[in-house]
Amino acid sequence: MGTKPVLVVHGGAWAIPDEFAERSILGVKNAVKNGFAVLEMGGSSMKAVEIAVRALEDDAVFDAGHGAVLNADGYVELDAIIMNGKTLAAGAVSCIRNISNPVTFACSVLEKTPYVMLTGTGANQFAEKLGIPQVPVEELVTDHAKAEWEQYRKYKQTVKSLFNTELVHDTVGAVAIDCEGNMACATSTGGITNKMVGRVGDTPVIGSGGYADNLVGAVSATGHGESIMKVTLARLILFHMEQDLHTTRSSMCGSLHYCAEVGEQPPLRHQLLTSLPDPVEAFLQVKLQRKLQILLFTIWRGESMDGEEL
Amino acid sequence: MKPVIVVHGGAGRIFKDREEGARSGVTRAALKGYSILKEGGNALDAVEEAVTSMEDDPHFNAGYGSVLNEKGEVEMDAIIMDGKNLASGAVSAVKCIANPIKLARLVMEKTEHMLLTDHGASLFAKAMGVPEIPGEKLISERSRERWSKNLEPDSNPHEFKKDPGTVGAVAIDNEGNVACATSTGGLTNKLVGRVGDSACIGSGGYADNHVGAISTTGHGESMMKVVLARLILYHMEQGMSPVDAADTALNYMKTRVGGLGGVIVVSNSGGWAARFSTKQMSWATVKDDQLQYGIYTGEIHTSSVIESK
Repeated sequence: MGTKPVLVVHGGAWAIPDEFAERSILGVKNAVKNGFAVLEMGGSSMKAVEIAVRALEDDAVFDAGHGAVLNADGYVELDAIIMNGKTLAAGAVSCIRNISNPVTFACSVLEKTPYVMLTGTGANQFAEKLGIPQVPVEELVTDHAKAEWEQYRKYKQTVKSLFNTELVHDTVGAVAIDCEGNMACATSTGGITNKMVGRVGDTPVIGSGGYADNLVGAVSATGHGESIMKVTLARLILFHMEQDLHTTRSSMCGSLHYCAEVGEQPPLRHQLLTSLPDPVEAFLQVKLQRKLQILLFTIWRGESMDGEEL
Repeated sequence: MKPVIVVHGGAGRIFKDREEGARSGVTRAALKGYSILKEGGNALDAVEEAVTSMEDDPHFNAGYGSVLNEKGEVEMDAIIMDGKNLASGAVSAVKCIANPIKLARLVMEKTEHMLLTDHGASLFAKAMGVPEIPGEKLISERSRERWSKNLEPDSNPHEFKKDPGTVGAVAIDNEGNVACATSTGGLTNKLVGRVGDSACIGSGGYADNHVGAISTTGHGESMMKVVLARLILYHMEQGMSPVDAADTALNYMKTRVGGLGGVIVVSNSGGWAARFSTKQMSWATVKDDQLQYGIYTGEIHTSSVIESK
């Protein structure tokens, strides 16, 4: 009805080893194609972000759903969130097991319960009640995730070294605005290798891993979860945008600087955020450090960022 | 800096026969926290002590006396945050321990993480030597009554939302550090595994030495949708007083998502507020050796700390 739909997805902020680079690029392209198809047909931003993130969860090269990293016990525990910018309704799940698509489950929490967040055993019991299929953990675990887990037994080691080296995965996410001007965000993750059993990061915590508000914009965050939580990063960015003091880019920049200051030492500066302000304009802001690359792909008015047609 | 502590025992509907218990519970908690601050203790210790006192008090929906989930069990959420460095610890859906706020503090101080949930939180509690309590010991007669009543076919689930939830405390110590703590048994007859605002940083609480500290109570899902604690601090960053910031945010929550609640605030200059859009919220504050407390809008009792001991 007048708004040109936009979809932005990310496959995480990390150093992508060469053998994954091509697969990763194909992965985000595929996700954005699937999601944008929904928007093109006049579908909702909620559906678009869910479809895009599902595609990333199904793709074992990303740290979400299939391909998720392992906790200290060698098990897969997943977090996800989805949020509706029109109503501020949200659904989130934390520490769920044996489920292929946490983002879809998060959507069910939003649509089928009066709640925003379900966790752990209770969440899994609810999933069973809904008839969501249970998948054996082996289906979700990749050789790479296992190798990473074996190599980085101590979480502390993980944080210090992995975000600066090549062997870490990261959270996936998407933000969108549809033809009716409604915005949505979705984020999904397996967390950080060797995290404590039951550790929940920023992803399912509303305002940290994601936030969407038609009045301002939508954000999905990725990076060092604990740092993101300390500054409630998603909400912080939107707050700067509300102030309209700077462009979206500098809002994100400012927030990233702040996040790096309060984050772990050495500072983890590679928080990637995608945000969608109103009016329609997509920006990606990234702080690169050494070998880190950012994987992302955007569609703006149907054209990819580098001008190639899909 | 003159230290200040504010505590709340939950916003919502407080039954007439529980009013006295609520008033004495919050005043006891505030006085306990204040005695720590008076002796030069830090804000973190003060809020932890105040919340622990209310977790142990069956008049409140936290720790012992928590409402029950649909299975008739106690499942608790809690958060603590240090305004000095934005460090925080939280637990969600934790069972069989007396003081979730203490476990939240251990998460903050003894792990690299900020939030542990469910089974993982219990494993951590065991590893820390936190005594395991049989679940029934946390169930008060009152909670069991409410739970059974809500199971009846003619009960109104909408009514469940009105029961007071959550306890919390905010403080500023003589070094100017602020802290917050919030703890709850959640929503009565909730789905197993339902997590509310109290475990979510920015929603159930937030503390930042640059601005102040907040603890919230009320309808959890609404507070999460507007990230209430963080929202209040934004308004204060823009120059609003604690009272105006709290009222503006509570009003926004009511109009935007239809939710009611209450908040306690302390600013980094020692100002404070206890505001609520529900009918009642038990609260108490101590500042300058003066105790104030109330339950209904406009109700403020004042006495000196010496008299109250």
